[in-house]
Amino acid sequence: MAGAMSEILSFVATFFLIICFSVSLFQMRYFIRKYEGINGNHVLLSTIQFTSCLFAFLILIYAFLTSNFDFQLVYSNSHTDKPLLYKLSGTWGNHEGSLLMWILILTIFNFFYSIKSSSDIKLRNKIVANQSLLILGFVSFCLLMSSPFILMKGNFSQGLGLNPILQDPLLAIHPPILYFGYVGFSLVFSFAIAGMLNNQVNKEWASALKPWILIAWVFLTLGIALGSFWAYYELGWGGFWFWDPVENASLMPWLSATALLHCIMVLEKRNMFQSWTILLSILTFSLSLVGTFLVRSGILNSVHTFASDPGRGLFILLFLAIVLLFSFGLFASKGSSLEKSNSFAAVSRESGILVNNWLLLTILFIVFLGTIYPLFIDLIFEKSLTVGPQYYVVTIAPIVFLLLIFMTITPFISWAKGSISQTIIKIKYSSILSLTLAFAISLYFDLFSITQIIILFLSFSLIITSLFSGIQVSKSNIIVKSILGKTLSHAGFGLFILSVIANATYSEEKIYDAKIKDILEINGHKFVFEKINHVEGENYNSIQAVFNLQEDNKVVEQFMPEIRFYNDPPTATSETSILYGLFSDIYIVMNVPQYQDSISVRIHVKPFMNFIWLSVFMIIIGGVLSIIYRIKN
Amino acid sequence: MKNKIIYYLPIFLTLFICVFFFFSLSNDTSKLSSPIVGKEVPKFSLISLFQNKDNFNSSDLYSKNPKIVNIFASWCIPCRAEHDVLMLLSKLEGIEIYGINYKDDPMEAKSFINELGNPYANVGVDEKGRTGIDWGVYGVPESFIVHNGKVVYKHIGPIHISELDEIILPILKDLK
Repeated sequence: MAGAMSEILSFVATFFLIICFSVSLFQMRYFIRKYEGINGNHVLLSTIQFTSCLFAFLILIYAFLTSNFDFQLVYSNSHTDKPLLYKLSGTWGNHEGSLLMWILILTIFNFFYSIKSSSDIKLRNKIVANQSLLILGFVSFCLLMSSPFILMKGNFSQGLGLNPILQDPLLAIHPPILYFGYVGFSLVFSFAIAGMLNNQVNKEWASALKPWILIAWVFLTLGIALGSFWAYYELGWGGFWFWDPVENASLMPWLSATALLHCIMVLEKRNMFQSWTILLSILTFSLSLVGTFLVRSGILNSVHTFASDPGRGLFILLFLAIVLLFSFGLFASKGSSLEKSNSFAAVSRESGILVNNWLLLTILFIVFLGTIYPLFIDLIFEKSLTVGPQYYVVTIAPIVFLLLIFMTITPFISWAKGSISQTIIKIKYSSILSLTLAFAISLYFDLFSITQIIILFLSFSLIITSLFSGIQVSKSNIIVKSILGKTLSHAGFGLFILSVIANATYSEEKIYDAKIKDILEINGHKFVFEKINHVEGENYNSIQAVFNLQEDNKVVEQFMPEIRFYNDPPTATSETSILYGLFSDIYIVMNVPQYQDSISVRIHVKPFMNFIWLSVFMIIIGGVLSIIYRIKN
Repeated sequence: MKNKIIYYLPIFLTLFICVFFFFSLSNDTSKLSSPIVGKEVPKFSLISLFQNKDNFNSSDLYSKNPKIVNIFASWCIPCRAEHDVLMLLSKLEGIEIYGINYKDDPMEAKSFINELGNPYANVGVDEKGRTGIDWGVYGVPESFIVHNGKVVYKHIGPIHISELDEIILPILKDLK
C-alpha cells in the first residue's frame, strides 16, 4: 500500500485540479450574453487557475525528485540512480506529465493575457471564456483519462527508468519550449473565436493579437530548432531533419503560423484579409493540437510515441473534432461578413503576401500528404510504407525557389498599388551584387549547373536586400530601423536555404569495419583507431572508441564516440563525437558492436552546419526583436 | 457573397480528416511492419544447443499456445540487457520461448546461458546464420511471436520491460 504521505499528496494535487476545473467553468459564463460585458474579477480567477495548476505540477515534480514510487507515473518513468536533472525532466517525459504541463502552460497564457489590461471588456471576456473552455477540456481529460496522480497498489523500492535516449540536457528543455509555442496558439485561437463572436476582427483586434502570435512563433521555432539540434548530435543518423512524422507535425503549425504572422500584418495595416487571419488562427492551433496529441496516440509510429491506450487518442480526437467543427462552423457563418472590401492592385504588397500565404500553405499541404499517406495506404491496402526525404525534397524545392523570389521583392512593393519598375530600381544594387557573388562562388567551386547558380543568386539576393533594408548606413552613424526584426528573420531564412543546400551537396559519409590501429580516410582526413576504453558513468557503462585525427603524423584531434549501456531500463544508446568547425563538422558514430574483433563506425563530414544553426538563430532573434519593438511602442 | 461556399470547405475537410484519424486510431500500424508478419514460419531444423534435447524444428511452432522465438547471440550486448526480461517472461504460465543462437560459438552461447539463466524451452544453433536469413533477421536481438505456425508479431531490438507490459503481453493474452 502507498504511504499516507503519498495519499495526501495525490489527493491534494487532484483537489487543485478540481479547483482549476471549477474556476474555468465559472469563467466560461462570459459566453452567456447576460455576463458578456461585466467586469468580473477575471484577474483573480485566472490567477487561481494558474496557481492551482502550478501547485499540482509542483507536487508531481516533488514526487519525481524524491523518487516517490508510490506514484504509478514515477514508478514507470524514473529510477533512483538517475541524475537530478533527468528526474526533473522525467516529469514531462511521459504522456500524463506532459499533459499536465500542457494545461499549466494554457493557464500561464490565460494569466498573462488577463493581467495585461485591455480596454475592450467584451472581447477580453470572450477570450478569457474561450481559454477557460480549453483549460476545462484538458483538465477533464487529465482527471478522467490520464491522471498523473494515480497511486501504485504494491510497494516498490525501484522504478523502471526513463528512456536513456531522452536523458539529455537539451531534451530536458526541448518539450517545455515547444509546448510554449504550441499552447501559445491557443490564445490566438481564443482571439479568433472571440473576434468572430463579437464581429470585431479589425485593426485593433489585430494589434492586440500580433504580439501573442510572435511570442508563440518564437517559442515554436526555438523548440523545433532544439529538437533538431538534439537529433543531430544524439541520434547519430548524420542529419538534422528526417521528415519524421513528429518533426512534420511541428513543422505544419510553424508553416501556418508563419503565414498567419504575415496576414495579421496586412490586417493591422490595411484592415483586410480577415478571413485569412481567422482561418489561419484556427488552423495553427488545430495543427498544434494534432502535433502534441495525435502523434502520441499511436496513430503515427515514431520515436516520440509514448505507448498509450487508444481510448485516450479517441478522447483527444473527439475533443479536436468538436473544437474544430464548432470553430469552422462559426467561420462558415461569419467568415464572409467579416471581410472588408478593401481593394488592392495586382502588383502590391498585399498580393505579394497573398502569394506567400499560398506558397506556405502548399508546403504545408505537401508535408501533410507525406505524413498522412502511409496511414492512408495502411488503412486501405494494409501495406506499410514510408515516405522518404526524396519526396519532400523534390516537391518542396521548387516552391522554396518561388518563396525566395517573393520574399526578396515583396517588402519593396508599396501597399495597395505598387509598380514593378520602382521595385526593381529599389533592389537593383543588391541584385547586381548577389549575381556577382553567385557567379564568383560558382567559378571558384566549379559549379556550372544553372540550378545551383540560381539558388545561390536567389538566396544571396534575399540575404543582402533584407540586411540592407534593416540597417541604414549613413556617413555619420548607423540607423537601425524598426523593421530590423523582420529583415533579420528574412535574411536568416535566405542563409538557411543556402546552407541547407550546400550541406546536402557537400556532405560525405563513410562506413568502416574498424580494427584497432586501422587507418580510416575520408575527404583527406586520416583517422587512426587507437584503442577501446571502458567507462563508467553515473547510471550507465560505456564502450568508448578512441580515434586520433592525424595531420602530418601529428595528432590534432581526438574523437571518442561511445556506446552507452543503461540498466534502467536496459537500453544501449550511441553517443556521437563531433568536432564543430567553422565551415565543417566532423562527426563519428559507432554502432553497437556485433563482432568482437572489429567495430562498425560511420564518419561524416558535414559542411556548413554552423551556418544552419546561425541562420535559425537569426530567424529567432528577428522574432524576438519584433516582440521587443512591439512592447516598447 | 460571391463564393460563400468556400467558407464551408474547412468543415468538410475537418470532418474527412477526423473520420480518417478515427479509423487509423483503431488500426494498429506497428503490427504490420515486417514482411514476415502474417506469414508462416520458414522451414528449418536446427541442432539443439543442449545435448539432452532434440532438434529445434519449425514444426515445434505449430501449436495453439503462442510461442516466442528469440534470436540472440552471446556477443550481442543488448541481448544481455534483454535477458532479464526473457527470464521474467519465461516464468509466466504457458509461455514457451525458443531461442535461435545466431552466428555464435556454441560454447560461448552455453556459458552465456549458464551465467544469466535459461529462459528457453529449446535453443537451435544457427552458426552460419542461414536460418536467421530466412527469418529476415537484420540485427540481434529480434523476437517473434508465433501462433499456429504463423508469425503474429515481430519485435526488433531488445524487449524493454515496458514493451513487455504494453505490447508483448497484450498480444499473448489476445491469442490465448
